[in-house]
Amino acid sequence: MELEALQAALPDIHRLGANLVAISPELERYGRSVHRRLNLGFDVLSDHELQVGTQFGLVFVLPDYLKTVYAQFGSKLDEFNGENAFRLPMPARYVVDQQGLIRSANVSPDYTIRPDPSETIRVLEELGREKDNR
Amino acid sequence: MTLQQKLDDFKAKFESGGPPYNAPKTVIEIFHRATEELRQSGLAERALRSDDRSPAFTLNNQDGNPVSSVDLLAKGPLVITFFRGHW
Repeated sequence: MELEALQAALPDIHRLGANLVAISPELERYGRSVHRRLNLGFDVLSDHELQVGTQFGLVFVLPDYLKTVYAQFGSKLDEFNGENAFRLPMPARYVVDQQGLIRSANVSPDYTIRPDPSETIRVLEELGREKDNR
Repeated sequence: MTLQQKLDDFKAKFESGGPPYNAPKTVIEIFHRATEELRQSGLAERALRSDDRSPAFTLNNQDGNPVSSVDLLAKGPLVITFFRGHW
């Protein structure tokens, strides 16, 4: 759902001179699957063994009771992610400026609470104004 | 409908226990417990935040081609979204 909403905002993101990438711990073939299914105009990157997610401090290990439920729903994380550690990143959205500084961060332990893309667009507009004023 | 309205809509349908998800009450309780434990862990508060420096990374995209955050940042600001997967 969030990827689709970001796809809808992609023209605005590009208009503001920015780029967008999505990162998941899944192997490339699953990234390809979601990229095709949602007809995404941005890259889906494969963060194997959650190395980047760990650097951002987002990674948690699934409790055993949750593993069982995921298995029932057909979410085979060991296959999808190519590791047996059953780790996931918390959903997060960052805006990074050209100096490499994080200018906006939204991290949620609850995957049903996500910021609207319009909030991200506002941050990019602000970055654009800063650049114009320099 | 905004993204959050869609998510709320999904959550309401899922937690109703009815179709199309037909989620048993025990499963709904497990999801609540897991989210609450993750919240209580304080992990989200310790993650990178505004004014922190973003780690530089190079990861393969959906076609197996490497994508570098440094190259993208040379062109403009970068929006990064982390998600769980295709499921």
